[in-house]
Amino acid sequence: MVRFILNRIVMAIPTLLIVSVAVFMMIRLIPGDPAQLLLGDLADPVELESLRQAMGLNQPWPTQFIAWFNNVLHLDLGRSISTGQDVLPLVWSRFLVSAQIVVLAVLFSSLVAVPAGIIAAWRQNSATDLVLVGTATLLVSIPTFWLGLLLLLLFAIKLSWLPVVGYVSFSEDAKGALLYIILPILTLFLHEIGVLMRMARANALEVLRLDYVTHARAKGLSERMVLMRHVFKNSFGPTWTLIGLVLGNLLGGIAVVETVFTIPGLGRLLIDAIFARDYPLIQGCLLFTATIYVVVNLLVDLLYPVFDPRVTTE
Amino acid sequence: MEERPKERYKCCQVGLAALLLSIGAVFPQGQADATTLRVQINADIRSTDPGINRDATTDSVVLHMVEGLVGYDAKGETRPLLAKTVDVSPDGLSYTFHLRENVKFHNGATLSADDVVWSWNRYMSPKLGWRCLPDFDGRKGFRIEEIKTVNEHTVLFTLNHPNPLFLTTMARSDCGMSAITHRDSVRPDGSWDKPIGTGPFKLKEWKHREYISLTPNADYVSPGEQPDGYVGSKRPMVDEIRFLVIPDLATAKAALLQGSIDILTRLPYNEAAELQKNPNVSVSTSSLLASFALLLQTSDPTLSNLKLRQAIASALDYEQLVQNVTYGLGVPNNSIVPISSPYYTEAEKKGHRYDLEHARKLLKESGYRGQPLKIIANKQYTYLFDSAVIAQAMLQQVGINAQIEVLEWGTQLDRWQKGNYQLMAFPYSSRMDPALNFETIIGDREKQPRKVWDDPQAIELLAQATEEPDAQVRQALFAQLHQGVIEQVPLIVLASQMALDAAQKSVVGYKASIFGSPLLWEVSKK
Repeated sequence: MVRFILNRIVMAIPTLLIVSVAVFMMIRLIPGDPAQLLLGDLADPVELESLRQAMGLNQPWPTQFIAWFNNVLHLDLGRSISTGQDVLPLVWSRFLVSAQIVVLAVLFSSLVAVPAGIIAAWRQNSATDLVLVGTATLLVSIPTFWLGLLLLLLFAIKLSWLPVVGYVSFSEDAKGALLYIILPILTLFLHEIGVLMRMARANALEVLRLDYVTHARAKGLSERMVLMRHVFKNSFGPTWTLIGLVLGNLLGGIAVVETVFTIPGLGRLLIDAIFARDYPLIQGCLLFTATIYVVVNLLVDLLYPVFDPRVTTE
Repeated sequence: MEERPKERYKCCQVGLAALLLSIGAVFPQGQADATTLRVQINADIRSTDPGINRDATTDSVVLHMVEGLVGYDAKGETRPLLAKTVDVSPDGLSYTFHLRENVKFHNGATLSADDVVWSWNRYMSPKLGWRCLPDFDGRKGFRIEEIKTVNEHTVLFTLNHPNPLFLTTMARSDCGMSAITHRDSVRPDGSWDKPIGTGPFKLKEWKHREYISLTPNADYVSPGEQPDGYVGSKRPMVDEIRFLVIPDLATAKAALLQGSIDILTRLPYNEAAELQKNPNVSVSTSSLLASFALLLQTSDPTLSNLKLRQAIASALDYEQLVQNVTYGLGVPNNSIVPISSPYYTEAEKKGHRYDLEHARKLLKESGYRGQPLKIIANKQYTYLFDSAVIAQAMLQQVGINAQIEVLEWGTQLDRWQKGNYQLMAFPYSSRMDPALNFETIIGDREKQPRKVWDDPQAIELLAQATEEPDAQVRQALFAQLHQGVIEQVPLIVLASQMALDAAQKSVVGYKASIFGSPLLWEVSKK
């Protein structure tokens, strides 16, 4: 197990290095620079050059990259050009905001989608199956921003049950925080149910066709026992992997949902940084996201044997 | 064979239903604190240090907390603010600012000449990175030679040469109004702490990417008796202003309609009709000192042809274009001098003539063979995209093969800086003086590809207008420049930009201003 973990960490290093270089190069290849965007049409060459110098943008790229990477090795992701804040604490604080929404949404959607998928598979081609698959397909097809706006319209404007805008952290006001994050969680929950349910159903269908399931039924086990003891355990593995991928993907930023609900999360931070060409912040966000993705997938792989003892870390 | 027992499984309660049903309390959306004015901003501010790390949003917030020696009145003219009077020597080299007395900073200290000198010395330090340092340190030819106290309430500025735009530049919002701040705004290590200014509001809290909260300056004394832009009566009439960061327009609008925010600024023009029908919302508009135009790259092989450019100018139905793009709010204006400028006269009203036959005739004379002409636009500013689409249709009507290329704003700005375009729908920011408006378009294009007009006579006329103190002489120079723009068509100014703001009807005293920024003094809530 320890060797497995160490191997994965070692394998992650070149990945993160490649991500660093790629991100560094790509954002500088995008036309426009932070000085230009800051000054807009008020810029003249003197002011532009002065600001570029102040931002360190007049240095050659390799010099900029080496300076930045050297700081990264000391866990310093630099300072945001837009706000002057240190990037790492800023990214971390925003990540925590996104993470609470993502983790809860994925948790709830998994708790609903997996049983629903198994039931749909068990009742294949019945009305239940049709309704569940149809619902899943519909939910997957709806863009999250549209879904979010619809929920906002219904629950915040028409019914006035929930706030339209704003955010407060749990540490400040737990009840208020809950009210603010219900709609973003709901939006993600509805979308991810569709994704996970389809996978759970497909895997369950495969397992239901296997001989040992027939054997289990022939032994006289109840359907409930067959589904829980045999079908769920043997079909959950791939769904678990998908949950990990979804989690890793969403933890990298739910920019659309954060924008609709004005949640100050990691996704919005990255979008704002890109529009402002805030190079240190973009680099910091993406490097952080890549690291999170690696960590989440590592955890998923470590937990896989819990659900499928046939799989080991060796 | 036994039948498999049918069992009904209760579906798990969907988390949605459980969450909804468990909500007992309703967040009191429509009943916010009556003395808190909640204003939407579409991005977080960058800093609270005036004119240092800033953008338009930052300026609009910071200028509620700080003031400079001079400021703009409601018409955009420069007037004394912290100064009571300003004496200019006959040679134009000395400016003596007599300060208003008993003006208090947020920390209770009284404004003195020393504070002015301290603030200006700080701005003039190259390490600070003040936005407007190049305008005052000689890099553009103009330099403040010396700033010194004459007595406790008098400061003397000495210049290297006369500059009629000195005070106008000093008052610019992107310069932070050259605000006078108390030295306690800065920590012992020299880093910025928070703005301790003389403005009607002071900083209470800045929660990054969420909101900025301001509270009244209890010691504030207005510079005037009647509201007049930045220099009139500026009483703080609410207990708190909260600038809420809401980047998404749909969300911001929903918040306004639901009552979660009080004021929404710089709305797209298409929102006016719907909001005007809402019984709880009032809408106000203002013509800005800014314009939007169709730029023509005269160094392009195709567009270097004057007759082709004139044909383009004649092919556009300005009335229809502007009415459609601004949803009836704007009026056409082919002058770079904005309609609300004091220098906008009958001369500036003369513009291009919409005449399809004339356009076709010019097109034929130009020898145009149908080469594609690309119009660059972006969707961040929807009125620019709409302008490009309508212009394209109008140009195609006379046989011009106009195509549209949509770019992201940062990319478009880069192309504009480099002059890398054929046609471009472009917005020009507010400028407080027509010389500055013309400066944005006139200049040596070899050195500054962003300029659109490098006619030597125009460059000379602009230099004269910049140095001429007499308003009437300047007016005549601007009229000549405008005539030149109409004849040579380096760009086609379409209209002055409009500000469209919306406010809850419970908000009293608010209206859109020519500055495009909300002015929240003299504003209260019922």
